[in-house]
Amino acid sequence: MRAAPADERLERVGSGEADYHAVVDFLHREAELLDERRWREWLALLAEDVTYEMPVRATGARSLETSVLPDMDHFREDHFTLRKRVERLETEYAWTEDPPSRTRHVVTNVRVFRSPSGELVARSYLLLFRSRGDTRDPEWVCAERTDRLRRTEEGLKLVWRRVVVDESVLRTQNLAIFL
Amino acid sequence: MGEHGRLERLVADVRQGWIPAAVYSDREVFEQEVECVFGRAWVYLAHESEIPEPGDYVVRRVVHDSFIVVRDEHGVVRVLANVCRHRGMQVCRAERGNASHFRCPYHGWTYRNTGHLVGVPFHEDAYGGEREFPKAEFGLLSPPRVASYNGLIFVSLDPNAPALQDYLGGFRYYLDFYTRQSPVGLEVHGPQRWRVRANWKIGAENFCGDTYHTPYTHQSIAEIGLFAEHRPGKRKEGVVYFADRGGGTTYKLAPGSFEERLRSVGYPDEMVERMAQTWSPEQRALVAEAGFIVSAATLFPNLSFVHNWPRVREGGPPVPFISLRLWQPVSAGETEVYSWFAVDRLAPEEFKRDSYRSYLLSFGTSGMFEQDDVENWTSITAVAAGRWSSQIRLHSRMGLSREGRLLRQPMDGWPGPGRAFQGFGEYNQRALLEVWCDYMQGAREEARV
Repeated sequence: MRAAPADERLERVGSGEADYHAVVDFLHREAELLDERRWREWLALLAEDVTYEMPVRATGARSLETSVLPDMDHFREDHFTLRKRVERLETEYAWTEDPPSRTRHVVTNVRVFRSPSGELVARSYLLLFRSRGDTRDPEWVCAERTDRLRRTEEGLKLVWRRVVVDESVLRTQNLAIFL
Repeated sequence: MGEHGRLERLVADVRQGWIPAAVYSDREVFEQEVECVFGRAWVYLAHESEIPEPGDYVVRRVVHDSFIVVRDEHGVVRVLANVCRHRGMQVCRAERGNASHFRCPYHGWTYRNTGHLVGVPFHEDAYGGEREFPKAEFGLLSPPRVASYNGLIFVSLDPNAPALQDYLGGFRYYLDFYTRQSPVGLEVHGPQRWRVRANWKIGAENFCGDTYHTPYTHQSIAEIGLFAEHRPGKRKEGVVYFADRGGGTTYKLAPGSFEERLRSVGYPDEMVERMAQTWSPEQRALVAEAGFIVSAATLFPNLSFVHNWPRVREGGPPVPFISLRLWQPVSAGETEVYSWFAVDRLAPEEFKRDSYRSYLLSFGTSGMFEQDDVENWTSITAVAAGRWSSQIRLHSRMGLSREGRLLRQPMDGWPGPGRAFQGFGEYNQRALLEVWCDYMQGAREEARV
């Protein structure tokens, strides 16, 4: 559950700084693209060498340290696999998202850090609301995300994301969505 | 079942391949399943590789009964009821971990990981010591039957269940393709767990024999080029087999030797070599002579398997993966899915990494195959709960004439046990539900004696 390689010294970025606002703007923009199902534009926010991971959480005894499984994930993606997932959603046969879910990515508790290499590290809370059809109860996914953002000429790009979900047994039908 | 005649009628319909939708939603049917299916069949709990070290444990369920599967100090795998003998509190409330002892948080009774009761606070004052309360008599209980096959740990809550070997019967031949690619066998990672609003049998039936849904439900996967070859008729060439209490689907492989055929789905040479040495001549013949390779399968009641080989890189070669999964019933309309990634323990590290990627991309919580399946199953379950639509008899008679004759004969010269058919047909779904009918009527063991 660490924010970055353990040996890296991260410097906290205050909420009054321009870098802080750039990161918050990025996260809000990303949430908007995902909720509006503008996946191609979302992909454009990701670096070519992106890593996108969401480990499985389990109930361990005594401490939360053992609650993240070291050897099982819900997602462990790179640009190719994320692209394939987007391509699938764009076909006419992705039934599980047709009719589409109505989602809301609520991003809060944003903390920003500067790494020695100049990249920005953001930690945020995510509450994802997902409503499907007209007969089911809505589904929720709650998580903390740690993101590493690279400054490029086209603005910030997501290089690494780790989503630590709070449920050990997901109550959502599937992860045909991005967090 | 409140009304005995109702169950009899329902089972009679199911045996004909006419499935009253209530089978997937009815609370009384479910209660009967808890009693007669999950109370009597062999039910899968865990794989030995999940608890490699002394003290390692995982907690698993048979419907609502909680069990600790633990490797004790001597390396012996034990299954212990997660129930303090005093007031019934769960002595272990984590899902997994390592412990030498389990201590009840209520009054502090403490059990060694062998199940022995070793600590009772104020034993002398409160209970009169060993003379009046011998601790040896109050260890954690074990379920009536515990046995394993290729590291797969099963329990049965029925003291009179047949031996596990006999229960598995001819299905063992097929089970080895998933669980014994070398003498060492599997390492199992996970599980991912999630809840779906679907009856547990729908997934079990699907994995057991539904080759017919693949070209349609999973058309999106074909369109994005996740498989090297994706003709709509490809699944029609496959064989579905059923032996005793389990069955599954296969794919037809292109002409070639045993080695060439296994290489064609992405196995590296050293793994192919170990399979050649590990499998019996009859097992090798499935690949080498008949030219088939296993895909999805189900062992009654709720353990399924997947073997498939998508690409994990742009234009890259296929990479096979194996997955185990449990359809853990929560209620008539809800199932908790446990999905594990499994790989032969002797496989090269690079293969393990790619195979894991292959699994995540196609099955499990985020798997692109899986997503569309579950959408179908939740919808069926919702429909089946309707007052009126629950009485509709769904058609599961593919491969039968109107009068109930087989439209196609079983294959001649099939190298494995049981009955095998080539082409589309709901032979396996019917066979699996036949087993279900037998259990629901309490007849399976008697029928086998």
